[in-house]
Amino acid sequence: MEFWTRTIIDNSGPLLDGFRITVSVSIIAFVVAAAAGLIISLARIYAPPLRPLLSAYIAFCRNTPIFVQLLWVAYAWYDIFTWPKDVFTAAWVALALQSSGYLAETFHAGFDSVPHGQVEAAEALGMSRFTALRRIVAPQMLLTMAPAFMNQFIVIVKCSTLVSVIAVPDLMFQAIRLTNIWGEPVPILTFVAIIFIIMIMSLSALSKSLTDRLRLRMAR
Amino acid sequence: MFDLSLFWEYRAILLQGMLINLLIFALSSTLGLTIGLIACVGRLSSFAPLRAASAGYIEIGRSIPEFVLLIWINNVLPFALSTMLGERIHFSPILSATLALGVVASGYFAETFRAGIQAVPRGHLEAARALGMRTPRILGRIVLPQAIRLMLPELMSQNIGLLKTTTLVSVIAVPDIMYQVGIIGQQEMKPLPLYTGTAFAFFLVILALTTLVHHTHGHLRRS
Repeated sequence: MEFWTRTIIDNSGPLLDGFRITVSVSIIAFVVAAAAGLIISLARIYAPPLRPLLSAYIAFCRNTPIFVQLLWVAYAWYDIFTWPKDVFTAAWVALALQSSGYLAETFHAGFDSVPHGQVEAAEALGMSRFTALRRIVAPQMLLTMAPAFMNQFIVIVKCSTLVSVIAVPDLMFQAIRLTNIWGEPVPILTFVAIIFIIMIMSLSALSKSLTDRLRLRMAR
Repeated sequence: MFDLSLFWEYRAILLQGMLINLLIFALSSTLGLTIGLIACVGRLSSFAPLRAASAGYIEIGRSIPEFVLLIWINNVLPFALSTMLGERIHFSPILSATLALGVVASGYFAETFRAGIQAVPRGHLEAARALGMRTPRILGRIVLPQAIRLMLPELMSQNIGLLKTTTLVSVIAVPDIMYQVGIIGQQEMKPLPLYTGTAFAFFLVILALTTLVHHTHGHLRRS
């Protein structure tokens, strides 16, 4: 047991720092991807001339491996755009790039899920546009989109482990670094693998209970 | 700025790398389908401990990030096995890559198999039994033809996902396309054309495959 605890407790500082980076890179990437996804799906509805371009963007994001996108953003983008300037930015930009394509499709499905007749009916009943959005459209959209959103967040957390390859000091980076320092791969890497399994399982369980609760509330 | 001639200049070696990706894909897909089928049968068995073990395996396979498992299998597993067995065990990078990607894929495949089998209406089984069919016959003529049709599109898109994931194996020194891109990029001091070229090459290949899956999906629905 001492063999297990020694390496991990003595190194809890760097591991905790790494965990913080993993969490922050995932959350930033998710928020940016959601915002970009919303803008893209709105632009697709309200700016028809942009449609082919946006569809191409979505297809590119969804059909390129995340690892290729990550290295592309980290090593090639600076030469094109002189941005991003540091690896942390490159990391969340790459993760958000991939997810924005998926989330744009999710928003699209969300908008499609509410029949237009319902909005017209709400207006005929004298509801203002905002009230119709708040009471009729938004709740139904939320119900359709919630599972896909949670799922995408889980995908981002999983893919965030890759950022260690471009030297972002996340949990996986620290685990590999400490393993190389101590020459003891078993405890640290196993511990970090278990942490990731627990994290993803809890997120899946949370996602399931949230969607179930949402469905129950909407069903009334 | 968008001069991709460097990418074209190294096409032979990059193509060789891509073939390694396809090799890893074929190996890990076969492994994943095999373990996935076994795990699915275990998950549906009437023997409770086997059911629990299979469910646990599937959950872990679906929860662990591929990259974490890849590094773990590459660094920890041979080390732990060597200590346990008292002799030096070495995993080739290709073996580690196949194991890691295969295990993760098997969790997803198992759930797809299960969903396909459970989507066959129970009444069909009862009707077949009432007609006097025996279990192998029911499986072969009633369950599987329907289940395979139901799970094929999902299986295909999961395999496309697996093909995308094979790009990770360069981190454990499998000489795949990303590995070659990294080396050539450093030698030539020009990462831009190589990474851009690879990104767009993957985009075209995967897009063609995704379109094919959509097409098959529509086709299966109509028939």
